[in-house]
Amino acid sequence: MIAPGSEAPKRKPSKINVRVLRQDGPGLPQYWERHQVDYEPDMNVISVLQKIAAQAKTSDGKKVSPVAWDCGCLEEVCGSCTMVINGRVRQSCSALVDRLVEDNPEEIELQPMTKFPVLRDLMIDRSRLFHNLKRVKAWVPVDGSYDMGAGPRISRADQEQNYPLSQCMSCGCCLEACPQFTKIELQRQPGETDESYDLRKKEAYDQGFIGAHAISQAMLFNAHPVGKNIADERMEALTGTGGIAACGNAQNCVAVCPKEIPLTTSIARAGRAATVYSFRKFFDR
Amino acid sequence: MTSNSSALSFFHRNEFLIRRLHSLSGLVPVGAYMCVHLITNASLLAGASVFQNNVFTIHSIPFLPLVEWAFIFGPILFHAAVGVWIAQTGKSNVQQYRYTHNRRYSWQRMTGYIAIIFIFTHVFHLHGWFHMDWWLKSVAEPLGMAQFRPYNAASSLADAMNDFGGIVWPIFYLVGVLACTFHLANGIWTAGITWGLWLTPKSQNRASVFCAIFGVFIGAAGIASLVAVKTTDSKAAKVIEDEMYKVRVEGHMVKPDDHKRTDGHQHKEERKPEPVAAP
Repeated sequence: MIAPGSEAPKRKPSKINVRVLRQDGPGLPQYWERHQVDYEPDMNVISVLQKIAAQAKTSDGKKVSPVAWDCGCLEEVCGSCTMVINGRVRQSCSALVDRLVEDNPEEIELQPMTKFPVLRDLMIDRSRLFHNLKRVKAWVPVDGSYDMGAGPRISRADQEQNYPLSQCMSCGCCLEACPQFTKIELQRQPGETDESYDLRKKEAYDQGFIGAHAISQAMLFNAHPVGKNIADERMEALTGTGGIAACGNAQNCVAVCPKEIPLTTSIARAGRAATVYSFRKFFDR
Repeated sequence: MTSNSSALSFFHRNEFLIRRLHSLSGLVPVGAYMCVHLITNASLLAGASVFQNNVFTIHSIPFLPLVEWAFIFGPILFHAAVGVWIAQTGKSNVQQYRYTHNRRYSWQRMTGYIAIIFIFTHVFHLHGWFHMDWWLKSVAEPLGMAQFRPYNAASSLADAMNDFGGIVWPIFYLVGVLACTFHLANGIWTAGITWGLWLTPKSQNRASVFCAIFGVFIGAAGIASLVAVKTTDSKAAKVIEDEMYKVRVEGHMVKPDDHKRTDGHQHKEERKPEPVAAP
């Protein structure tokens, strides 16, 4: 006898259980908290978080401060809502509840990213990510007082190689999943000014691994006809402390990248460029 | 800026150079040496005389201890020390991200640690690390180490491997050799990315297949060596080796050197006197 209901559409839960890893402020201890929200069709994690914040009550009925999180575009192009959902780093806007309950109907687990300092609850300070883009000068240098004229034409082949790299939204998934990118979190010392605290942070970030996103952006701008004017400066950063050599080839970056950017190809390209650059630097001097 | 730079540790300031030298040293000389070593060992499968002949060739290299330290022990120590430092810079997350490449990242570090324990013990067990008399007499040999005799290669090797019931050392060597094999095969693959040899996922997959086949060959050579050791008749091998030694000495192909022989090795004889046949 065929079990009844085996071919019926999957039963949707009436309630969604959510476990959130909370933190009241920078440097404070983290703690888990359970919340329960009513199920609605086509929810994403952001709409679940909106409900959680609106009720501001745990599943035991205890009144708590609303859970804080970050979001922006709600269409997976800004990266600001990135968090660890059911143990995997991804954007909460594109994490659909119907898919999540298929994998684990019991509960959705939300954690802030583990490689960046937590500001509050699910909000993190991603400034190291942007600092690392500055380390490799991930821009086209066109500032100046004179007209540089039209830029050179870029061949179709180069466009096709560069376009995927340009899709990076600086979300930090590649860094969260990278075993070589470890957390750097400084505590503000009593009486420390903003300037000296920022300087101390920058110095610490300068020694850490630069990360797949910055390596890939360095390769993008080194392939740009104007951007390559400062290619050597980028290579200097990539062959310096925490540069390309700190990559351990675990290749998690490319596996978790929501934009499917060929990060490991960029890393290998950067490795080749670093080989050539370091030989040139050593033997040409 | 200069004061900040000088405050950085030596490792941090030279991170790129040190890591690239680490990558290079793993391939040449350490990896290349490991291939030669395992293939030479596997020649024991063809008989004690073939193996002995190869060992004679190796021992005809002038200034052998210097060559050993400069091209084998030194690079291995460097590769091991920097490898431990590199492993400490990362934090494995294979439980969370169960991807093949991520597992390989973890295994590369685990096999590295196993390889360090294995190689240090193995060199001590057979080679002894140092050949000063006081070291051999008062440290290595009392511990049952430094057992290999180059001019009685197969027989001394078989005897050394048959200590502790003849099962402990072979298993230790099997685990060690397979860990080293994975470490080298996977290391060639990561080195290919590090130096920029294979760029795209497609070419990296092809390289993976190549490295896997290479690993199977080298691992097979290692296993073949162990099988050969376990099937070597030590007494019969010793007779052949002593004959070969005599001929070589008479033919001025080697200088007499009792330190490299089982019989001439005084410390060993003092420890284990030959049983005298009853009249």
